Amino acid sequence: MLNFIVKRLIQIPVVMLVLSLMIVGLTQLLTPEQRAAPYIRSEQQAARLEQIIEQRGLRDPFPVQYGRWLTSTLQGDLGYSKASNQDVIVTIKERLPRTVELTILTAIPILLISVWLGTLSALHKDKFIDQLLRVFVVLGYSLPSFVVGILLLAVFYAYLGWLPGSGQLNVINTFALGDIKTYTGLLTVDAALNGRWDIAWDALQHMILPALTLVIVLSANIIKVMRNNMLEALTSDYVRTARAKGLAPSVVNRKHARRNALLSIVTLAGFLIIGLLGGSLITETIFAFPGIGQWVVQAAVGVDLAAVLGFAMLTAVIVVVVSTIVDILYGVIDPRVRFD
Amino acid sequence: MKKVAALATLLTLTSALAAAPKDTLVYQSSSDIPTLDPGVTYDTASGGVVENLYETLVTYSGASLSKLEPLLATKWTISNGGKTYTFDLRKGVKFHSGNAMTCADAEYSFERNLVTNSAESGNWFLAESLLGTGANADDDKTITWARIDKAVECNNAGQLVFTLPAVDPAFLAKLAFSGQSVVDSKHAAGLGEWNGKEATWKDWVGKDLTNSKLSQNPSGTGAYKLVRKDSNTLLATAFDGYWGKKPAIKNVVIQKVSELAARQQAFLRGDADLIDGGGRAVDEAQVKGKAGVDWIDNLSNTVAQAFFMNQNIKNPALLGSGKLDGRGIPATFFKDANVRRAFSYAFDYDKYIQDVQKGKGKQRTMLLPEIFGGYDAKVSKYTYDKAKAEAFFKRAYGGQLWKNGFTLTANYRQGSEPSQKAMEILKANVEALNPKFRINIQAKQWSEMLKDSKDGKEAMTIMGWAPDYADPDNFMYTFYSSNGYYNPRLNWKDTQIDKWLEQARSTVNNTERNRLYSLVGKKAFEQAPYILMPAGIGYIFMRDNLVGVSASNYNPMISFSATGTFWKELSKK
Repeated sequence: MLNFIVKRLIQIPVVMLVLSLMIVGLTQLLTPEQRAAPYIRSEQQAARLEQIIEQRGLRDPFPVQYGRWLTSTLQGDLGYSKASNQDVIVTIKERLPRTVELTILTAIPILLISVWLGTLSALHKDKFIDQLLRVFVVLGYSLPSFVVGILLLAVFYAYLGWLPGSGQLNVINTFALGDIKTYTGLLTVDAALNGRWDIAWDALQHMILPALTLVIVLSANIIKVMRNNMLEALTSDYVRTARAKGLAPSVVNRKHARRNALLSIVTLAGFLIIGLLGGSLITETIFAFPGIGQWVVQAAVGVDLAAVLGFAMLTAVIVVVVSTIVDILYGVIDPRVRFD
Repeated sequence: MKKVAALATLLTLTSALAAAPKDTLVYQSSSDIPTLDPGVTYDTASGGVVENLYETLVTYSGASLSKLEPLLATKWTISNGGKTYTFDLRKGVKFHSGNAMTCADAEYSFERNLVTNSAESGNWFLAESLLGTGANADDDKTITWARIDKAVECNNAGQLVFTLPAVDPAFLAKLAFSGQSVVDSKHAAGLGEWNGKEATWKDWVGKDLTNSKLSQNPSGTGAYKLVRKDSNTLLATAFDGYWGKKPAIKNVVIQKVSELAARQQAFLRGDADLIDGGGRAVDEAQVKGKAGVDWIDNLSNTVAQAFFMNQNIKNPALLGSGKLDGRGIPATFFKDANVRRAFSYAFDYDKYIQDVQKGKGKQRTMLLPEIFGGYDAKVSKYTYDKAKAEAFFKRAYGGQLWKNGFTLTANYRQGSEPSQKAMEILKANVEALNPKFRINIQAKQWSEMLKDSKDGKEAMTIMGWAPDYADPDNFMYTFYSSNGYYNPRLNWKDTQIDKWLEQARSTVNNTERNRLYSLVGKKAFEQAPYILMPAGIGYIFMRDNLVGVSASNYNPMISFSATGTFWKELSKK
């Protein structure tokens, strides 16, 4: 088991190296002027284009530019992100915990609700509840997150006024943020540890709408897969055998059918979490939630090379770590897939 | 159901407190704030904060762009034929760090700007005045420490003295630019910024200060000091030790909200006092006239825009056959003034104002906003006139153009709808004159366009200019001089105009300068190097409880363009 984990972790630097070569290589397709564009905000600054290209060595050959990036990266310096106006490392340190917080608040409901609803749908195949859930799945599939997000914002914030709008905290509470000691980077947890329950509650409220948006959009797929898996399991031999043995239907459904149906959900959950940790790009942008996703959108729009590379590196780590955990979980659920 | 109702009540109770409090100004912006270091401030988002944390020697008087009044200076004298400026500095001024402001701080600030003068900054125009070149010591080896040191000094009486190599009538206006704010030298050096000494100046030449220690930890003399800045929020609070009148607004919050719909909702609910809008058409439809919203219209616009007609097109790909045979154009197509005049008469200015600017636009006589000194409303304007356009086309190239026709390829900046519409209007009108006339229009990425236009590789395109400092020279020289910034995009030279513009640069007599600019305007009308785009009319909107914003004190040179004022002038009722 340990061997397996270590092997996976060794993959990280290799994946990163290949990724970085690809990304830096791809940017060479852009002209130096295009790569200098993020440093220019006005016609006046454009007058200084040549100096900007010169100073940043944007005309240097690819190996020189890549070498420069690699040297500083190995020294722990991922460069300066124009999109966040901070160093990439600082940006990730500041924003990742917020995205983690949103991921926790989103992924758990998505998984619980999807498994529950998928099971429910399969157990009531073709009945009203199943039909209803299938409509929901189609809706969740076809509605883009920016539509759901803006709709929720318009209804719950603008019209009903039940929930706060964009950002992470109410205006007044943003001032108190300076007094809060950071332990985990997760605002709700840190605020609670500081005894500032009002701020924890405020931060939590600000996450409800983004989380709800993601739940609506991202549950559909898992509900569908769970329903199909359940249907398959319910018609399998071992379930028939279990039923024939006279086990109670609830036990058959939960212990025999659902457990097996969960296998591919674990894989999907892995993808879900990778996606959420990599930032929910559109949702974070709509709700001005200062996580990784919001940063990446700005970085991509602005051809912010340091940020894009930094983000790619981060994603590589997330992918390797999460898929390792998924594989381990596989072994836990299915004894046939043990590593030793 | 009961549970849902209870939850809803709880949520309502807690979020009811969300509206912006009376002593707090909340502004939701679409852009981020790149830097808080005056040494590199050169964009409005940064300038809008820096000008409130820091102060300059002089500032604009109310809405005026020509009248300057003292701020950190108390008075100034100009001597030595306009080449020496001596400033008396305000006494009893404190920085946010608690340090007292002295002449040494002012000297340090300007020297730091001249030393660093990075490509990202607007310090090139300070260097032009004080060193006679816009370059820094890396790009121009003749710049020595001695030259920088001599350009700005404190005399024995504690006055700040600038010594210019040549007369510069725009010098005072340049000092009102937020990038020329006085910084706290002790604080900056303590953070590890340049220590102001000759021994280390070379290490700082060309240095990009965007993320400097001082940007992260600013200390100015402004009415507000920074509380905290993170990725999405900037918090500032009124500075207790401020030398001037205590501001009414205690706290300022700037939140970055990229999504327009989210900003609009926050604004309409009163959670934000000010927001970045979505352009006139959107704002008029979705915000104007709504409860709690104040709308101020007919504000001056300080951007000048034009179609550029390149008289030496250095891109064979745009020339087609390269000849006047109907299938292309020669590289010098626009060299014939008749072609330029014909194009100028073929653009439907009123249609552009109606279609693009929703009726809120007006034609200018020259590429200089009317609010600037030197603008002459009496200079003639081109109007849409088919007959005249046809007459000039017939005259061009001895009648060859009309006989053979042409195919011209014009590019506009991708994503710029106004430019696209303008191009379409011009295309339709020109092509309607003669079936042999053809204009192909295509969108082009901004970065490519910047480069190609600079290299003279665009045949016809649309570009604009916003002022760095409030002086007509910043527009007139930029657009009309053959040494101006835009000339490589135009390749047009008029010796007489060049002479007038140099003369206007070297006199401080405003009447004389205005006369010269008027002459340039008249000659430019006759020569038609550009097709002048109608200027949009500015507007702002805010929550109706915000006091201190009005057309009479809106100054377009103040970077905080949401109100056109400094924060300290605002209050809430």
